[in-house]
Amino acid sequence: MNRKRLLSSITALMVMITVISGCSGNNKAANTSDGSGSSKGKEKVEITAWLTPQWKGVLDATEAGADYDSFLKNAAEKFSAQYDKYDAKVNVEVIAGDQRDQLLNVNLSGGTPPNVFFESVFPMGDYVHRGALEPLTDIIDDAAKSDIAQTFWDAATFGDDVYFYPFQHNPGTLVYNADMFKAAGLEKYLGGENEIKTWTLAEYQEILDGLKNNLPKDKYSNAYPMALFAMNNQGDTWNLSYLRMFGNKFFDDQGNIVLDDANGVKAATWLKKLYDGGYTNPGAESVSSNDANAMFQNQQLAISFTNPILFTNGKANMESGTSPKFDVRLANIPSESGDPLSFTYVVGASVFKSKDAKKTEVAKDFVKFFSSDPEMVKSSKNGIPVRSSVAEALKSENPLFAAYDANSKYMFNFTGNVPGYSQLREVLYPELQALYMGAKTPEQAIKDYQAGGNKVIQSNKENSVIYNP
Amino acid sequence: MKLLRNSYVKENITGYLFILPQMLVFLAFLVYPILEGIRLSLYRINYESEKFVGLDNYATLFNDPVFFKALFNTIVFVVFIVILTVGFALFVASAVFDKNAKYVSFIRGSYYVPVMVSMVVMSMVWSFLLNPANGLISYLSRDIGLGNVNLLGNQKTVLPVIIFVTFATNVGQAIILYIAAMIGVSKDLFEAAEIDGASRWQVIRKILIPSVGPSTTYITIINIIAVLKIFVVIQLLTGGGPNNSSVTLMYYLYNNAFKYNQLGVASAVGVIMFIVTLLLSVPQLRSMVKDK
Repeated sequence: MNRKRLLSSITALMVMITVISGCSGNNKAANTSDGSGSSKGKEKVEITAWLTPQWKGVLDATEAGADYDSFLKNAAEKFSAQYDKYDAKVNVEVIAGDQRDQLLNVNLSGGTPPNVFFESVFPMGDYVHRGALEPLTDIIDDAAKSDIAQTFWDAATFGDDVYFYPFQHNPGTLVYNADMFKAAGLEKYLGGENEIKTWTLAEYQEILDGLKNNLPKDKYSNAYPMALFAMNNQGDTWNLSYLRMFGNKFFDDQGNIVLDDANGVKAATWLKKLYDGGYTNPGAESVSSNDANAMFQNQQLAISFTNPILFTNGKANMESGTSPKFDVRLANIPSESGDPLSFTYVVGASVFKSKDAKKTEVAKDFVKFFSSDPEMVKSSKNGIPVRSSVAEALKSENPLFAAYDANSKYMFNFTGNVPGYSQLREVLYPELQALYMGAKTPEQAIKDYQAGGNKVIQSNKENSVIYNP
Repeated sequence: MKLLRNSYVKENITGYLFILPQMLVFLAFLVYPILEGIRLSLYRINYESEKFVGLDNYATLFNDPVFFKALFNTIVFVVFIVILTVGFALFVASAVFDKNAKYVSFIRGSYYVPVMVSMVVMSMVWSFLLNPANGLISYLSRDIGLGNVNLLGNQKTVLPVIIFVTFATNVGQAIILYIAAMIGVSKDLFEAAEIDGASRWQVIRKILIPSVGPSTTYITIINIIAVLKIFVVIQLLTGGGPNNSSVTLMYYLYNNAFKYNQLGVASAVGVIMFIVTLLLSVPQLRSMVKDK
C-alpha cells in the first residue's frame, strides 16, 4: 500500500518537474537564440530605443496612424536603410513618463537598460552623475554646435562632456484667458495673439487686483486670478521661477542652493501674500499642476502655466469641443527687474552604457542620425526647434517660434545640472505646503529648503562620477 | 532506531512531496527576497557597484525626521483603522446575522461593493470629492457659506480623512467574515440564553463575541498587515502631504527606492516594516494556533 502510494507520488512529482523544466527550457532556448542573434554575426546589431510620449506622428498628429513612437520608428527604418557599418535593427518602445525612473532603475539594476533614451534632459541628469550614460561629445560636430544655441548645450553638458543631443525644447511660460481679462476691464494689459507678453511686477499686481475685484461673478463664478499648486513635484519649475522673481540666483558656482537671502525670502513672502489675499486658487498645498490646468481650461483660473505642448493640446481640446472655447494667449513670468524669467525643457536623446561596444557605437550613430539629418530634425517643430536653421525655415508655419526665440536670452538653467536633482525636487513642495498652510514663516521655509536641498546635493555629489572622475 | 526512522520517512514522504512545489515557490519568492532585502539594507548601491556600509542606511533613517513621521503615521493608521474596522464590522454583523436571508444578503452585498472596486478608482472618486479648488465637498461648503474647506490640505484633518477612506473601503471584508462566523454559532446557545432571559446586549457580549474570537484574530491580523502596506490612497490623494503629514512607511520606501534611487535605505525601511509586522502578528498567530 505504502509502496503504491510512494510510486504514485513520485510519478506525480516527476510530471510536475517535467512541466516546470519544460517551461524553463523553453525560456532558455528563447534566450540563447536571442543572444546569438546579437552577438554571433558581426554584421547584425540590435539595439533598443525608449522614449516618453512627446508628440504623435512623424511630422505631426494629422498623419494616418500617428502615435508617439511614429517618429523614432520612422527614424529607425531610415537609419537602417542607409547604415553601412552593421545590419542594424532598432526596437522602439514608448514608456509612461511617470514610470521612467522606476523602469530605468529596475533595468539598470538588472543590466538591461535601453541603448537610446529620448526624453527631456532635466530628469535624466541624475543618470549622468551616476555614470550610467555615455558622453556624446565625439558625435557632435561644428555644424551642430553653431546651429544650436549655447544655452541648449549648457543644459546638456555635465563636467566637460555633452551627454544629450538637443532636439527640441519646450519653454515654460504663463498662459492667460484674454476673455476674462477683457471682462475685468484689463484690455490694456493684453498682448498680441502671437506674442509672449511681458509685464512688470507692478503691472502684474494690477492685473491680479483687477481680476480679483472686477471679474463679473455671474459669468465667471468660482473663478480665481492665478494658479498656485504645491501638491507634488509636477510643475515645480514654475514654483522655482517664482522664487527667482526678486533676483535670487538660486545656485552658486559650486552648485549649492543659495536661496536663503533677502531676495529669496521676499519671493516666498510674495507667494504667501498672494495666497492669503485670495489671488490664487484655494488649497494650493493640495492642488496639483494637473488640477490647475483643468481649472484653467474650465475658466476657473485667469492665469495659469503652460508649455508649447500643453498650449497646443489645450487649443485642440477647445477646437474639438471637449473644453470651453475662449481666447488664450501667452505671457512671461514677470520679475522685479522687469526682465522676464524664462526657462525651457530641452528634449534630446542620450545613450546608456552597454557592455557591448558595438551596440554603443550603433546607438551613438543612430542618435547622431535622427538629431542631425535635415529631414528628421523638421519633426522638432512639434515643440520648439533647437536648431536656428529649422526655426528659421518653419517660422511662417508657426509665428510663435520667433517669440520664443526672442525669449532665449533670458533663459536660466533651472536644474543647475546638480547631482540628485530628482531627489531635490522632493524637498521643495513640502516646504511650500508648510508655507501656504502657515506651518512655517517664509524665512523658515526658505531656510529649511536650502538646508535640506544642500544636504541632498552634498550626498549625491559624493557618489557622482562627474564630481569624482 | 534506523528502522523506525525509515518507516517515519516512508510514512510521511508523500505529504512532504505534496508540499514540495509550494515550498519551492515559497522559498524562491518569499524567503529569498526577504533575505536579499536584509542583505541590501547593509549596502550602498550605485549603478553597477555595491559597497558594504554596515548599519549606515539605518543610521540615515534614524536621522531623518520624515522617517519618524512615517512611522508615527503608520502606527496611527494601523491602530485606528483596525479598531474601527473590527468594531464597526462586529456591530453590523451582530445586528443583522439573525435576520432573514434576503436582508442579510443585501447588507453583505452593499458593504462588499467597495471592496471589489479597485483602490485606485476609489481614491480617484474621493479626490474628485475632496479637491479644494473644484471638488464637490468644497463647492458645497462654499455654497452654504462655510468658506473654503480643504480637508486634505490641513494637517489636522488629513489623517482622519485617509483613515475614513481606507476604513470605508476595507470594512466589507470584515463584515462578510463576521456574518459567516456568527451564522455558524450553535443555535443551542441562543436558545439557552433566551430561556435564561438574557438581553440582546448580553447575548452579543457573552456568546457572540467570544464565539467569533478566531475570526476577530484573523481579521485583526490581515487588517494590520494591509494597513501597514497602505500606499495607493496616499499616492493618489495626498502624495504624502501636506508637509509630509500623511507620509507612511510604504510611501517612504517607494520614494527612496524609485524616486531617489536609494535602494539600500529603501531596503532598510522594508526590513523595519517586516520586523514591525512580525512583532504585531506573532502574539495573535500564537493565540490562533493555541486555540486550534
